[in-house]
Amino acid sequence: MTEEANTTTPESVGDLREQLIGVDYLADRGLATATLIALRLGRPLLLEGEVGVGKTELAKCLALLTGRELIRLQCYEGIDTHQALYEWDYARQMLHVRALAEHELTDANTIGGLYSEEFLLERPLLRALRAGSRSVLLIDEIDRADDEFEAFLLELLSDFQITIPEVGTVAAEGRPIVILTSNRTRELHDALKRRCLYHWIGYPTVDEETDIVKLRSPGVTDALTSKVVNAVHRLRDMDLVKPPGIAETLDWVQALGAIGALEFEGETVVDTLGSVVKDRDDLELVSSDISRLVDG
Amino acid sequence: MVDLDAEPTDIAIVDRLVEFGTALRDAGLTVGIDDVLTFCAGVAELTPSDPEDVYWSGRATLVNRREHIPIYDEVFRRFFLHVPDGAANKKPKDVKVPQGSTGTINIPDSEPGEQESKEPPLVLGLEASSLEIERTKRFSACSDEELASVRRMIARIRLEPPKRRTRRSNPDPSGATLDIRRMARQAMNLNDSAPSLLQMDRKRKPRPLVLLLDVSGSMADHSRNLLQFAYSMRRAAQKVEVFCFGTRLTRITPLLDRRSPDAAMRLAAEKVVDWDGGTRIGESVETFVRRWGRRGLSRGATVLICSDGLDRGDPAKLADAMEKLERLSHRIVWMNPLHDVHVGAPPTLAMAVAGPHIDEVASGNDLGSLEAFAARLPQIG
Repeated sequence: MTEEANTTTPESVGDLREQLIGVDYLADRGLATATLIALRLGRPLLLEGEVGVGKTELAKCLALLTGRELIRLQCYEGIDTHQALYEWDYARQMLHVRALAEHELTDANTIGGLYSEEFLLERPLLRALRAGSRSVLLIDEIDRADDEFEAFLLELLSDFQITIPEVGTVAAEGRPIVILTSNRTRELHDALKRRCLYHWIGYPTVDEETDIVKLRSPGVTDALTSKVVNAVHRLRDMDLVKPPGIAETLDWVQALGAIGALEFEGETVVDTLGSVVKDRDDLELVSSDISRLVDG
Repeated sequence: MVDLDAEPTDIAIVDRLVEFGTALRDAGLTVGIDDVLTFCAGVAELTPSDPEDVYWSGRATLVNRREHIPIYDEVFRRFFLHVPDGAANKKPKDVKVPQGSTGTINIPDSEPGEQESKEPPLVLGLEASSLEIERTKRFSACSDEELASVRRMIARIRLEPPKRRTRRSNPDPSGATLDIRRMARQAMNLNDSAPSLLQMDRKRKPRPLVLLLDVSGSMADHSRNLLQFAYSMRRAAQKVEVFCFGTRLTRITPLLDRRSPDAAMRLAAEKVVDWDGGTRIGESVETFVRRWGRRGLSRGATVLICSDGLDRGDPAKLADAMEKLERLSHRIVWMNPLHDVHVGAPPTLAMAVAGPHIDEVASGNDLGSLEAFAARLPQIG
């Protein structure tokens, strides 16, 4: 993140796409439009799509593009407000009380001091609120969190402020850019969806994906790139348990690069298949028909 | 937000956008007034004369689930691109015909209803929907009294799913870890006296339950009761998912959320199209694993499969699917109505193949066995 990073809001959809290409992210028209509206209206953007199509990556690139700090909250089952928002540092508070007691300094003032900034452990959401418009808040895989947490987020995303009983209300000065991602392991509540703009990221076309690979791995020859991309598209048609995303395409290209492969053929393909097919059953299915993958 | 002092042309555009929102609402999307406001504000930021800008801003603001995208596209095409209605009307008709109803599993109902006698022999295609009514007949035909008596009996069964330990803790004098937080709080209150040791232990939460109910022809005597059982479970426990299968798998969880069990069961009967047909357990379990299990629905869950194991599908596929399911779930229980407490389950191929992956086999052919199972449930897992 540099100081000179571009902080002006892009003028148009085309503008935003250009700027995103500048940070190596190729967004199609739909995604760019949704992002631009989200930026302009200060609304959270909910991204859904298959695994590895660049949902999380968009947040990272937006942070890079706008020169804001990326604050990431990874959701998981059982996440609660302590892990997401703030927590009191109990152990330190206790030690502090002991120290005060030893010197007989415990009065209303010093006790009140126990609930001050010093003992407040900042977690991602509080940090994003405080950073306000200087941050990009990425709430990753929201579908993994429980319903209760979703309800809590709902409150936060509508007002961008929270109240800590001992300290008072913390409100965001400016709105952070908020990106939520979901892999659709469960349906999100409509109320949460209504707070957000929604975009479904599908798999890119062959041409788009070729452009993405070229952007991300410029050292690779055009011939190899096009062969890999075509092979990945064939894989996606193969009814796999876990079809490869763009992330896997990039991994594959890099894996081929790492072993210095110049040609996309039988043995090198089999050897590097692990970077793109990551399920045993799938691997068996693909290995049995490797020629189809290479020749089409 | 929308500028109220806008030029007349702008107002015309806004009118058009609002109308579009209404059209979407008519097509079945939930479009709120605030959504339309956001839509207008979004378009205002872009070029309203560019259909592509309008299309994408509408998709970002008015659609909030993937399934609605085709409907949105349809309405957009009709509304802004003036595709004639005839072409547009075609789509809903296609949608109504269920994918699985090819007519090959049209097993005649044992008690012919009025519907059948009035209608001429079924022709595939246009009349596919009446075929569907025939299939759901058996279930919808059962009298309210029958339903009520079964419901009364099954509703009495107390259900308690097995529990798992959660991340969070509760105070517990016999707990294994020290509750530093409470100790700290107490230490502050007591000022200088030594704090006592306070323990805590992990909370326990019910495990999710996943029910896969066989509703094929051979299960006809039981499927109604099993569905009732599923309904009671759904109401008793928090995380319960219910699926029906015959030749294909249908998720009926949302339909069971009705207050009235009769309505819930009627809805389920309508949704499940392969009622009283053949059985392909392997394919159905495979579908479950792929579409739901993989995504974590059965993770840590007790999976209950209710089927007699009379399978017409490929046993190798069942073995494969069961192996995957075993890895994705906590425990698998197979409830087999043909299972006899004294003799055991009849040696069907499906049971033999699935056997190694099953943790427990239960019966379920009468109320007594359902009750016995309910009593056993908390100890599984």
